[in-house]
Amino acid sequence: MLEILHLTKRYGSVVALNDATFVARPGRLVGFLGPNGAGKTTTMRCIFGLAVPDAGETRWNGQAIDQAARLRFGYMPEQRGLYPRMKVGEQLSYFAQHHGLSARTAKAAAQRWLDRMGLADRINSRLEELSHGNQQRVQLAVALVHDPELLVLDEPFSGLDPIGIRTMTEVLRERAAAGVGVLFSSHQLDLVESICEDVVIVARGSIVAAGPIDELKQSSGRRHLDVEVEGGDGVWMEGLDGAVVLEHRGGRVKLLVEDTVDLRRVLEGAARAGTIRRVSYEPPALSELFMEAVDPEPALPEEAR
Amino acid sequence: MSSLRSIWLVARRELIERGRSRAFILGLILTQVFIVGGLLLQTTLAGGANVVRVGYVGQPPAALREIMDGIAEQGGATLDLRTYPDRPAAESALLSDEVDGAYVPGPDSSSPGQLLFREAPDARIQQMVTAAVQAVRLIDAGIVLTPPGVETLQPASGPDPTSLIIANVGVIFLFISIFSFGYWVLSGVVEEKQSRVVEVVLSTVKPRDLLMGKVLGIGILGLIQLVVLVVTGLVAANVLGRFSLPPTTTPALIQLVIWFILGYTLYSTMFAVLGALASRMEEASNATMPIQFLAMGSYFIALLVVINDPSGTVARIATLIPPAAPMVVPMRTALGAIEPWEVLLSIAVTVVFIYGLFALGARVYSGAVLQTTGRIKLRDAWRSSRQERRRP
Repeated sequence: MLEILHLTKRYGSVVALNDATFVARPGRLVGFLGPNGAGKTTTMRCIFGLAVPDAGETRWNGQAIDQAARLRFGYMPEQRGLYPRMKVGEQLSYFAQHHGLSARTAKAAAQRWLDRMGLADRINSRLEELSHGNQQRVQLAVALVHDPELLVLDEPFSGLDPIGIRTMTEVLRERAAAGVGVLFSSHQLDLVESICEDVVIVARGSIVAAGPIDELKQSSGRRHLDVEVEGGDGVWMEGLDGAVVLEHRGGRVKLLVEDTVDLRRVLEGAARAGTIRRVSYEPPALSELFMEAVDPEPALPEEAR
Repeated sequence: MSSLRSIWLVARRELIERGRSRAFILGLILTQVFIVGGLLLQTTLAGGANVVRVGYVGQPPAALREIMDGIAEQGGATLDLRTYPDRPAAESALLSDEVDGAYVPGPDSSSPGQLLFREAPDARIQQMVTAAVQAVRLIDAGIVLTPPGVETLQPASGPDPTSLIIANVGVIFLFISIFSFGYWVLSGVVEEKQSRVVEVVLSTVKPRDLLMGKVLGIGILGLIQLVVLVVTGLVAANVLGRFSLPPTTTPALIQLVIWFILGYTLYSTMFAVLGALASRMEEASNATMPIQFLAMGSYFIALLVVINDPSGTVARIATLIPPAAPMVVPMRTALGAIEPWEVLLSIAVTVVFIYGLFALGARVYSGAVLQTTGRIKLRDAWRSSRQERRRP
């Protein structure tokens, strides 16, 4: 288990991380969310010793992370970078050896991962001869080539085409299923919602939400109530306590309600107004939870305030 | 993973990647062409005049050879005395340009003998052989002529021309090698920063080990080039045969290698630190200005001052200044104007200096190499690396 404990990091007067604490369990995909400059990259750099925290520590399986532990981690930094003129196969094998693999196993691992990424025929190409998307694949392979116990990827999905996104998703799921810890940052909230089990949300250096996505959604005090009534004019929901009308078009009404709302009473009101064609009652989407968590002013439509 | 393995992995990558680069291979070929060409030019311009090739029919008496050697030396030349069994052999040697003149002694020492030339008599050989033969005949006659003693009122100091050439060429090559390979270290560091690969590397390698491996790998390439160069030079000089090397050659060549290692390590460490402080190549090049001044200054001290007065005060002081020593000491050695203890002391001082420089440099490097935007101030890098040292 990856534990981030009370991490604090200042750059001059800028507080990059302020007492950040969260965990990432192996076997689960953990999305690391936050606006730009919130502290995601700094956290990852602290895990790899590339930034030294002013306070707090990082642990892996209960032990403080040191250079030896890092050899069993895989890292994909936000600023992608490999040696442009080095051959792809040699490059992978080079990084694998830095993670402690012998020359021979490193070479075999390089071959295996290039096969997996569909780049087997490019093993002797220089990196710079590859397309941008293929360079991204090589970068992922560098993070994976030594079969790490923990994968830390800084925005692995940015700049990928749909096929690249699918490959990346498959690989991450497969690694998680193999018991590897996977922590990755992203701004693609819908994607994170669809593939991650857990999320950690950081804002202005502090962790504002963390845990399984389902639990976070359930524990949110709000629900989306979407009702379509045929023949009604929609006035049925007026006087509903604590409800905010998000959208009202014809017979269709989208409401944001407290989770304590008495559904039966609401639906009885709607039924009196006309024939109910459709009802959905859902917790908010991850993107809304995110906005709520990072922005104290809820971004609701003007008229809803 | 041990530091040693990390360092070696980094060094090996540099060796392989740069070793097969066009720049290295081309550099290797060009320097060969340069040194062989230079030697050829040297021998055609001056070499012929410096060796006197004389054939002798029969076995020359030891006294004769000695006297001829002495005369040749006075004229700043060396004697190449070859013996032939009979006159026809000597004549054919003369015709095939093996020798420039041949002496056929008479039946006994009282007869004058015969001096043969191909087209026209060579005045120098004629004088030399005549004087030697006459002296030997006088000795045989029991008359020993003691030549007058020689004294110079204002002796002109100055090493012999071959030593000067070796010293000059050696220092120029040293300077070029140190700089070209030091520059590779600089550009290597900047490229790693610019391509951001340094972050991936440093997630497993300590900054200090990365720096050491890089300096080591590129240094080995430099050493390979230097050794190939020296070997080619020696082989070429021997094959051409007309180029007699002074006794200071071997120690000078050994020191050339030692001082390349020291000078390269010293300057490339400085280059690496500057590379880490910059974020683009143009920036890095501008930042190397002070180092270039330092190196050029040392180079000119060696080339303009030390060469004229190799055991003077300036030379002695420069010997103990680490950035200047790599150019000054080999020059003094080539000129045969340095005491062994001075060399050892100079090496010791330089090694200590490099050790300190590397310790400081590695710290600045660790503090700066991950900051990829803008130029980093030395002071900030220093501070940021103080934290770096706490890194577990």
